[in-house]
Amino acid sequence: MTGFSGFLVKRFLQALVVLFLVSIIVFVLLHMLPGGPARAILGPKGTPQQITDFNHQQGYDRSLPTQYFMYLKRLFTGDLGDSYKLNSPVFELLKQRLPKTLLLTVLSTALAVVIAIPLGLLQAVRRGKASDYALTGLAFLLYATPVFFLGLIMIILFAQVLPVFPAEAPQGESIGELLREFSGLVLPVVTMAFGIVAMFSRYMRSAVLDNLTEEYVRTAMAKGQSSRRIMVRHVLRNALIPLATLLGLYLPTLFSGALVVESMFNYPGMGLLFWNAAQGSDFPVLLGVTLVVGIATVLGSLLTDILYAVLDPRIRSVA
Amino acid sequence: MTALSVLGLLPPGGAVTGGRILFDGQDLAAASAAALQEVRGNTVGMVFQDPLTSLNPTMTIGAQVAEPLLLHREGIGRKEAWARAEEMLRLVGMPQPSERMKAYPHQLSGGMRQRVAIAMALVCEPKLLIADEPTTALDVTTQHQILELIDNLRETLGMALILVTHDLGVIANRVDRVAVMYAGKVAEQSDVRALFARPRHRYTEALFAALPERAAERGTELHTIPGLPPSLTVRPTGCRFAPRCLFATAECEEREPELSPDREPELSPDRVPELSPDRVPELSPDPEPQPEAGGSQLLGAEHRFACFHPVPYGDAPQEQVVTPPPATATEPGEVLLELDALVKEFPLTGGPFARRRGTVSAVGGVSLAVRKGETFGLVGESGCGKTTLVRIVAGLEEPTAGTVRFDGRDLAGLSRAERRAHRRRIQLMFQDSTAAMDPRMRVGEILREPLVIQGLGTRADQERLTASLLDAVGLPRGAVHRYPHEFSGGQRQRLGLARALTLSPDLVVADEPVSALDVSVQAQILNLMRELQRDRGLTYLFISHDLAVIRHLADTVGVMYLGKLVETGPAEQVYAHPLHPYTRGLLDTVNVPDPAVAAAGQREPLHGETPSAAKPPSGCRFRTRCPLAQDVCATTEPPVSTPSGAGHQVACHFPLAVPRLASTV
Repeated sequence: MTGFSGFLVKRFLQALVVLFLVSIIVFVLLHMLPGGPARAILGPKGTPQQITDFNHQQGYDRSLPTQYFMYLKRLFTGDLGDSYKLNSPVFELLKQRLPKTLLLTVLSTALAVVIAIPLGLLQAVRRGKASDYALTGLAFLLYATPVFFLGLIMIILFAQVLPVFPAEAPQGESIGELLREFSGLVLPVVTMAFGIVAMFSRYMRSAVLDNLTEEYVRTAMAKGQSSRRIMVRHVLRNALIPLATLLGLYLPTLFSGALVVESMFNYPGMGLLFWNAAQGSDFPVLLGVTLVVGIATVLGSLLTDILYAVLDPRIRSVA
Repeated sequence: MTALSVLGLLPPGGAVTGGRILFDGQDLAAASAAALQEVRGNTVGMVFQDPLTSLNPTMTIGAQVAEPLLLHREGIGRKEAWARAEEMLRLVGMPQPSERMKAYPHQLSGGMRQRVAIAMALVCEPKLLIADEPTTALDVTTQHQILELIDNLRETLGMALILVTHDLGVIANRVDRVAVMYAGKVAEQSDVRALFARPRHRYTEALFAALPERAAERGTELHTIPGLPPSLTVRPTGCRFAPRCLFATAECEEREPELSPDREPELSPDRVPELSPDRVPELSPDPEPQPEAGGSQLLGAEHRFACFHPVPYGDAPQEQVVTPPPATATEPGEVLLELDALVKEFPLTGGPFARRRGTVSAVGGVSLAVRKGETFGLVGESGCGKTTLVRIVAGLEEPTAGTVRFDGRDLAGLSRAERRAHRRRIQLMFQDSTAAMDPRMRVGEILREPLVIQGLGTRADQERLTASLLDAVGLPRGAVHRYPHEFSGGQRQRLGLARALTLSPDLVVADEPVSALDVSVQAQILNLMRELQRDRGLTYLFISHDLAVIRHLADTVGVMYLGKLVETGPAEQVYAHPLHPYTRGLLDTVNVPDPAVAAAGQREPLHGETPSAAKPPSGCRFRTRCPLAQDVCATTEPPVSTPSGAGHQVACHFPLAVPRLASTV
């Protein structure tokens, strides 16, 4: 078992190295704030004396490596600074909001994958037929539609014309509370899922088409299997491999997609937090979110590699 | 294609539009999809060409071999299916089958994967096995083992076999009856011995004559078939071979000859016997191989061909085609290329941060000398280091140790500018000329590019040279305006040769230049190479796994095994009296395209597989497969000796002392 577990350990260590780099980048961003953090906080009316005092108080007058070390130390104790506007530690804010964004992302991705995989398969099987063209057209239309526009249509259609679902997301404190008001989750999740479905089904379609021309499919036919069985037993798994890459790479994009959807449906997630912080120049919050997105990106590619190895035995032994 | 249609496996767009496919009384051409599924993998098994791509990479071996059982044997449990699959793997000679059941295809060698494919096709014990070029992608020794396996299984399981191949050697050695196909039609059909002894169709005759094995003497030109197989997009009228046939008449262009039985000589070849409708050829596999006793009686009725002007009785086919004058052999001059204790090792690492895990010893100390004007043939199976050697000689790879001397100068000592100039003198010719040419460049640019890079001549000069090169390789000058994909494989290989000659090199290194070509086209390219060598005083370093091609073309032969040169010497001597057990094993493994030789026996083919170059055996690298190996072979690397006189070197503790009878390759 050295192959697979060894691969995981190695890949995990690599992810740690990248996370370290992410922390450096966020640290540098902190120092690139216009006029430095002091000016950003004290505003244009802050006197030079106030700025010097602030810098000394916050440790900004020490050498950069020392500052980075302090920053890292704070990071490990969960101290990301305090929000200027919300009067609360950034860490606490993220702890509250991140699970909600994760819930939104996971639900919509799961929905998208569940729809996109059969849809892509269907298109590949019916390649060149009317249904393929219709679905292709629909996929491009959805893909080209901005999320906010799609959200608006959804709200008009399903909250106003046909008042089936509420237009505002549930405002509960915990995940459990959010799930209890599930009907409020429907529109945000579906809005987010649509764009993903469009993209994933395209990839699925071409991956299946690629695999259908592979010789192992001919071998499978020569064994006397039905086309349906060949699809399920042979082609599906091989076609999922490129989709796994896409999923990992797409994760950060999903987070930014959540930003729009959250502000649109007033969903109390990280995106909304970021949106409000950006409007109020709440830099500690912005950097905290940036760090989280950075971590999510790294974890996303880690997830891709693990999925890869699960799906493709060749990757396992090469690594 | 015909083989694929039997099981209804034609690619999209293809369909059987006429005729019947009778299998055990059932017409498969008219069968429903469900009925075909019942036949496939059950009563008819199929093995495909490329074992690397024809297995599902993400499924275990066991799951793939057990699959047909689960499909076709009702009520069989998963456990039982796996047990049967494991039994089947044992039957096809898979070592440690129970462990292999859990392995994935990429963990096995090509030969082992083909064994898996065979196990998969046979696990339901079909009545018929269709093998579509089952060994074309494999090495000589692996090829032999796989064919032997198919042969044995055919006998044990009592099934019929349809073997589809372009390799006449395989046909001569392995089948009872042959159908020769040309451009979608059966040209001739016969008992294998009769066909090789007395081909009647002019295409069959020409095909045999183009074999390097049939060339009477080394150094003579090969017989070629002019032109190319026709495109099948337009249905041709008349005999499909007529445009390339030396004996074609007006009649051949107008009417299509039908497959008719070979009658006694008194029958005028111009008269076509009328065929009754029920004699229209149909592919109905013979479930039982023809018994020996009845063979000769059936032969007359069975030997059928479709030709208005067949090869007359009594003539040996070679003597009818006009023999071109033999090439004058050039006297080998002084040493042009000299390799001294050349070593190339590649590190085995697992990524940028990983430690070095081991070393692949691709070339393990090779010394050889190529003389001016000669052809040095380097033979060996895949993974023996031929290609790495080529890359070092061409300056594309730095040796780990040892020296390369070209025209007396050590290449390691060259400055950057000298190296650049030196590159002109050694040019490469590749196996896959499609991949070796930029598909978006016109032929003119491709041929001119070396001159442009070296900054030689004006544009007009360059174009003049290009035109003369196209003349030399027998392509029209108008070719400069076309793209590589507009040419056939043989024409592209001519272009590859033209490009190699653009800079008037001293040495042309040809890496398997004819391996991807058909027999008839291969003969054209070999003739061309010989002709250009004579006219331009070229030296060739010719790499091939094909012993017959090397024998035909090379003056000196080197045999490589796992990074070592095990034997070198004049081609005649090496082939007639091999000194190294590996060379002899290789010669004995080759399928000679002559059923009479195949039946003669007394051959000791090689067993086992080439070990990994990452862990080469100690001492002599061949010892793990050598029938003569002793303890000393494991401890000491064999010294080079010349037991049969200077010039013929061997690296072996126990060289074959007694000269064998002249080999038949």
